[in-house]
Order: sequence, then structure tokens, then C-alpha cells
Amino acid sequence: MRRREFLALAGAAVAAPVIPKASAQVQNWPDKPVKLILPYAPGGGTDLIGRPWAEKLGQSFHQQFIIENRGGAGGMIGTEAASKAAPDGYTFLLTPNATLSVLPNLRKTPYDPKSFLAVARVGDFVTGFSLHPAVGPKTFQEMIAYAKANPGKLSYGSAGLGTATHLRIEMLKYRAGIDILHVPYRGSADALNDHLPNTVQMMNEINTIPHVKAGKLLLLNINNPARHPDFPDVPTLSECGYPNSDVPIWYALYAPAGTPKAIVAKLNAKIVELADSDEMRERMRSINTVVPTQTPEEMVAYLEADTARNVELIKATDMKLE
Amino acid sequence: MRMSVSQDFAAGLLLLAFGVAGLWIGADYPMGTAQRPGTGVLPMILSWCLVGTGVLLWIKTAIAGSARLTPWAWRPAILITLATVAFALLVDRLGLLVAMLVSMTFAALGTPETRWREYIPFALLMLALGVGLFIYALGMPITALPAGYPWK
Amino acid sequence: MEIAGLLANLGLGFSVAVSLQNLLWCLAGAVIGTAIGVLPGVGPVATMALLLPVTYVLPAEGALIMLAGIYYGAQYGGSTTAILVNLPGESSSVVTTLDGYQMARQGRAGPALAIAALGSFFAGCVATVAIALAAPPLTRLAQQFTPPDYFSLMTLGLVFAIVLARGSVLKAFGMVFLGMLLGLIGTDVNTGNLRYTFGISDLFDGIGFVPLAMGVFGIAEIIANLTNPERADLVSSKVSGLLPTREDMQRSIAPILRGTVLGGLLGILPGGGAILASFSAYTLEKKFSRTPEKFGTGMIEGVAAPESANNAAAQTSFIPMLTLGIPSNAVMAMMIGGMMIHGIVPGPQVMEQRPGLFWGMIVSMWFGNLMLIVLNLPLIGIWVRLLLVPYRLLAIAILFFCCIGVYSLNNSANEVLMIAVFGLFGYLLMKLDFEPAPLLLGFLLGPMMEVYMRRTMLLSRGDPWVFIQRPLSLCFLVLAALLLAFIVLPNVRKAREAAFQE
Repeated sequence: MRRREFLALAGAAVAAPVIPKASAQVQNWPDKPVKLILPYAPGGGTDLIGRPWAEKLGQSFHQQFIIENRGGAGGMIGTEAASKAAPDGYTFLLTPNATLSVLPNLRKTPYDPKSFLAVARVGDFVTGFSLHPAVGPKTFQEMIAYAKANPGKLSYGSAGLGTATHLRIEMLKYRAGIDILHVPYRGSADALNDHLPNTVQMMNEINTIPHVKAGKLLLLNINNPARHPDFPDVPTLSECGYPNSDVPIWYALYAPAGTPKAIVAKLNAKIVELADSDEMRERMRSINTVVPTQTPEEMVAYLEADTARNVELIKATDMKLE
Repeated sequence: MRMSVSQDFAAGLLLLAFGVAGLWIGADYPMGTAQRPGTGVLPMILSWCLVGTGVLLWIKTAIAGSARLTPWAWRPAILITLATVAFALLVDRLGLLVAMLVSMTFAALGTPETRWREYIPFALLMLALGVGLFIYALGMPITALPAGYPWK
Repeated sequence: MEIAGLLANLGLGFSVAVSLQNLLWCLAGAVIGTAIGVLPGVGPVATMALLLPVTYVLPAEGALIMLAGIYYGAQYGGSTTAILVNLPGESSSVVTTLDGYQMARQGRAGPALAIAALGSFFAGCVATVAIALAAPPLTRLAQQFTPPDYFSLMTLGLVFAIVLARGSVLKAFGMVFLGMLLGLIGTDVNTGNLRYTFGISDLFDGIGFVPLAMGVFGIAEIIANLTNPERADLVSSKVSGLLPTREDMQRSIAPILRGTVLGGLLGILPGGGAILASFSAYTLEKKFSRTPEKFGTGMIEGVAAPESANNAAAQTSFIPMLTLGIPSNAVMAMMIGGMMIHGIVPGPQVMEQRPGLFWGMIVSMWFGNLMLIVLNLPLIGIWVRLLLVPYRLLAIAILFFCCIGVYSLNNSANEVLMIAVFGLFGYLLMKLDFEPAPLLLGFLLGPMMEVYMRRTMLLSRGDPWVFIQRPLSLCFLVLAALLLAFIVLPNVRKAREAAFQE
């Protein structure tokens, strides 16, 4: 393996001085297993999206893409590890936006979210506010009316403080001017456990979707630009009269600062190509996910807009981790 | 060290010490409200419980007396601790084999009846087992040999 | 559920489970699980995470069957080290050390291991039947539990932890409180505030259960044995027979039954019931026994009950996952991960949409238990022979396995350092005649109780009376108070008598 690299480099250096040095690296990339750091414990939402991608990328590049779960401190530990990893194109971060556009605005993080190089978007969860049928209201507007008439009576379970689902309810409260009690849980499964018997009335996660389909819960809206294909009658949040209030839950691949741009571009191209394939689309759809594709530059802008929105929300509602 | 201290007195002291430490270190933890109990609520309750239990233990000792503390076994305690610490410090820097070797030797030193002729083949067996089982069979990402060696 | 429907489902399950492929995967899972359970440190969660990518290439049924096998295989294996060398690999085997290790020191490791295996097998079978027959109603039962009910149940669990101690009740209280406090070290999830971390970043996520257990149980025991050669001799004493005697079997029947029922019920609670299973069963046995003071000296009931309970709980903890898609613990979360890799979305529809998978898994659990008993019983002979190794060498081996086991958990040398610290601490505790089991149980329950306490107060908008208003919660609290009174009052009386005699 070493000799081949050496010859390739030597050949490139001698034969064509105009070819940038990086191209030899890029052509062979990946030539050993690639590590994808997921900053959460195994079995969670990030795994849901990460593992199919790892498998597919592994097949496409004929190299192993290994998932390494490094959970802890709400995602900070894994993200920090990724930020300090060698920028040789063999370690990437696969994370929801929470670690980059939410957490740094709530506490001091041991990494700079802007230092990461955007590679590709790998999925957005498609879900919305779910309500337990025993409460009464059947539609989104009825829920808002109920909340206005009974301030503080409704409760909402999130996956934890500082997660995107926490921000969703804060955003709704802010924009609609209603008072709903936010109850933080340890992950969406923990929250679902209390949501099903109506201990907590509302949630906004994808694990409620199977229960909505089984008739145990009501889906009031979708926090995404487009409606959920399985629920054509459920309006989006914008359609309900609250534009720019989605707080998207989006997952993306990032590389530590210094990773060669050519490798980033190559990976982005492959991910965009896979995202368009029918197989990937079906697989993602089964976990209530869509994969919008963007170039790395567009991603940077998207992250900035997301961060700005979150900062505004945090300031406006005086949100603290507490 | 001669210990003619009552066992239960020392036991009560331990609990009290932890309780007081808990209260002192945790003094600044926010208490929050009734609806949102803060960081400091449970530590405070537990620390007070520890203090209370420690005091009760002292009272009981005063009333009913207790056994004396038996002498401490310094050599095994220190060497076993050293063995564990050695493993921890060496395994990342010098690899599994060195760490195991040093650690096991410390442990052997701490064992009063070690027979060196018996120990050496045993140690080799353990080394083989350790590397074979954990690195090869289970594929753990542990380096076997010190970094920088020409093999591996 | 009508019999015809049930039989049809079981038939479907059998046809899925009995395929050669799936049986092989079941066996693989069981073997790996047992090995993992025996090795201190590495646990089922880590193993499942390692093997998850392997399951990509398997069909969904095979993958899940194997993963499940790893889980309950680890339960069988975990009790082995607890009994042989006082090393509880999992939280569920902490209580097994109390009487199991004592039995080993009396040369009765064989019967202890055998009864543990048999009890586990029985519990596993019963639990499998329970899942097949009553998964939906059991789920509904579990859904009745609200945060105050969980809190009160755990309070009852804490009282159990005190009752099971053999020595001074006061010292047991102390250990429970200290354990709870140790459990709070780290980041307070609700606020992000750090508690008692002294700036050490390794403590930010709290003390790990494994380093604590290894240190306080394992290392401390080694130090104690090395200082006292007669003590060490007991560990490596000659073994008096591998099989349980008739008396052993007779005494174990009722504990196994009781443990199975208790563990089975606790396991269905997604909020952490399974943790309570083993020591609740132990305490129950102690209360039912005519000779409670002998518990902790090698009573077979003290092994039979907790082992059955924790196996039953391990199996029934599949229920919330299978019927609702809610994982009761990290292992179930892994199983869900495995399902999702194969495109199966966990939830209420799995039973209808993939009946082959659902029933196949249930039936294979029974096969898994069968394989495990066939595997483990002969192994007892080997394990027991290991004890014949002179202690001066055995101790080194144990030490080594502890170190590398803990190191391999998170590739963290600092956790190994923690074992050293806890080892010394554990030795100190021994010298002061404190018992480590309540410490660990408090450690496990404390943080969970805090979570439920806070959640209750948040949902009740600050009203503490809700703990008494909810019937289940009231029930548990009353039981806890009664049990507490039973233990404390005699002690108070004794103290008064002693004072009078002065």
C-alpha cells in the first residue's frame, strides 16, 4: 500500500506539475476504514440515520465506514473528539444540529462549531406536535385555542434540555403567545413512555409516528417545509400560520478543520448521489426522514441561519439550561 | 500504626466526614423552587442524612461499645493499588504487554506467598491469554507493544 | 387471547425460530453473551454495539435473535464471576455475591452456580410464556406507572437495600446514603451544573458503575484475602461436589418461583424496574425465611431468588420494546437500533406487520435459555476447577482481568485508576465493617430517584402531596415505611436495653 502511494505521488509530481498534490490523496481516498463519530450513545436517533448511511457509503466506496458512538454531555464529548481528530479525511462527525447550532448558544462548548467543515446533509426528521387524544382538541388550531384558554395546563415532553425538540416548544410558545409546561426527559423514548398514558400531553419526535398510525396519538402538524407523505392531511407549521418557526432537526456530516477540500467534495458528491437513489429514499422514509441535498457552501449558510434563529429564540425567551 | 480506635467510632467518623464534605462542597449548589428542585436539593438531604447516621453511630458506640479496629495490612493494599495504577498509567503509553508485566509483578510482590519459579510461567501464560483474548479474539483497540517498535 | 390464535402464533414462531440459521444465530448470541458476562467489565451493551454492523448482513430475525441471545447470555455469565470471586459484572449480579460468594468459600461453588443456572432457566421459560400470553395486558399494567409511582417504588427499593444487609442497620443506612451521594457526582442533567467533580473531566459523566463495583467488591476482596492467608484458603478450598444436593433443590423451589414472579413484574416497567428485580427478590426471601440472620453466610435461597428474578426481568424487559417500541434500558435501545437497521420501525405495529419476527423472537428466547443451560451446566466443572488454582496466582489473574475489563469499556486508563481508588476505599469499608452491597444499590437508585422526584414536582406544579395521592405511590411508600419500622424498631429496643444495663 505504501509503495503504491509513493509511486502515485512520485508519478504525479514528475509527470504533471500542474496537478495539485492533493489529487493523488483524493483518488485513493478512502483506502482504509473511515470513522464516523456519533456524539450520542448507541440506539438513539443519530444511530437511526447514521447506520444506514455508514452501510451504504461503505458499499459505495468499498471501504468500511465505522460508526463510533461517543456519547456524553449532551453530545459535547463526541463533538469535541471529532474537532480534535486528525484532518486526514478518515474521521468525520455525524451529528444533529443540536451540537452545533443550539448547544454553543446555551453553554460554553469545548469546540468551536464554526471550525468544522460542512460535508453533506444526511437527513431531516419529519414530524410534528403530537397530542394525546384524551386532552380534547383534535386539530392544531384547537390545541392553540385550548392552550390560550388554559395557560400552563398542557405539558410537553422533550428529549432533553437544549435539544431541538426543546426549542420547538419554546418557539411555539413564543410565536403563539401560549404557556405550556416543558418537561425535559432523557431521550425521546423516555418521553414517549410518559406521553402514551397522557402523563405528559404533547411531544414532537419521530417515535410518536407509529403510535399515531395506530390511533393512540394525534399528529397536529409537521415541522417541515413539506407535508409528511404518509399524512397528507396534516398541515405544516407554516400552513398553520407560523412561518419560519420550524426549528428543523437536521443531521449532517462534518469534517474536522483542515481536512482536504477535495475529499470533502468527493464525499459530498457521493452522498448527494445516494440520497437521490430510490433505495435510500425508501429507507429514510421508513424512519420518517427526508434527505435534502446541499453543497457544502449552502450548508454553511443553512447552519448560520439556523444558529441565528436559535440565538434569537434563546434571547427572546431567556432560555437557560435549567 | 497502632490502631486502638473503636471500629464504630471510626465508621461514624467516615460517615460524618462525607456528610460534612458534601454539605461544605455543595453549599453553593442552587436549590431551585418547589416545582423545579435544583441541583443542590438531594445532595443536601443526603449529606444531612450522612451526618445524622454518623452521629447516631457515635451515640450507639458510646452506649454499647464496639470492636477494636484490626491492624491494617499495608503491604498488600499498597502493592495491589500500585499494580492497578501501574496498569492504568502504562497501558496507553507502553502497550498492553508492558503494562501487564509491571502490574502483575507488583501484585506478585504484594502476595506474601509468591513463588517466583511458579510466577514466571504463569505470567507468560497470562500475557498470552491477555493479548490473545482481548486483542485478537475480541478485537479491542488496545496496542500490544510500545509505540514505535518496528513490528506492528 | 384465544387458544387457537395463540397456538397459531406460536406455530409461526417455531417455524421461524427452528430454522437452522436462526438456531445457529441463537447459539452464537448465547455463547458470546455468556463469555461477555463472565469477563468483568465488558458488558452486553458494548458487545452489541460492536456486533451491530455484523447484523447488517443477516436477515432481521437472525440479527435480533442473536442480539437477544447476547443479552440474556450475559445474565447467565454475570453471576459466574459474582459467585466465584465476588466480582459483580452487572448491577443485577451485585446481590448474588452476598450468598453466592460465601457458598463458594465453603466449597459449594458448584451447587451455587448450578442453582443459579437452573433458576435462571426456569425464570426464562416462564417469562417467555408470559410474553407470549400476556404482552399487551402487561404493557397496559406498566403504563399505569407515573413518575410518583416510580419514585415511591425506588424508595421501597432503597429500603430493600437496607434490609438485605447482614450487619448493623445503621451502617447499612450510611452506605445507602453514601452510595446515593456518590451517584450524584457528575453533571446534573437537568441544569448542566457539575456536582462534586473538582474539575476532573473524567467525572463529568459521573462515576461508572463498573469501576466502582470492581474496586469495592473485587479489589477490596483481593486485598483482604492477601492480608489474611486463611481467608484466601477458603476461596481456593477443595470443592465438595459439583451438583446441588436434594436439600438444595428443595429449598430453592419456592425462592425460584417467587423470584420469577417478582422479577417478571418489575421487568415490564420501562422506567427502570429491572434494576430492582434481583435485590427485591433477595430481600423478600430474607423476610420469608425462618432464619433471616443466616442470609449473607451462604444460603442457597439467596442465590436462587435473585438469579431467577433478574433473568425474568431481563426477558420481560423486552415487552415494552416489542409492544410499544419503548426501550427499558440501554440494551433494549440497542435492540431497537438493530431493528431500525433492518428498516423495522419499532412500535405497536410490529406485532401485526411482522408477526414472524415478533413470535420468532419470543420462541427463540426459549431456545436461547435451553442452549444456555446446556452450555453452562458443564462449564461449572471448569469454573470450579479454576478455583483450585492457588490464590497467590488467582489473585493476579483476577486483578488483571479487572483492569483490562474496565479499560476496554471506554478505552480509558482513568477508569482503571478509579478501580484503584475504589479498591482502597472498599478495603477501608471492610475494615470498618461496612457492607458494599447497599453502597452500590444506593449508587444505582439515587440518581434515578432524583430524576423521578424532579419530574413529579414539575408535573404536579410544585405540589408534594401527589406522592400520597396516587394509589400506587401511596402503597409503595406505606410498604417502605412498614418494612423500615420492622428493622429499625428492634434495634432501637436493643439500644435502649443496652443503655438500661449501663
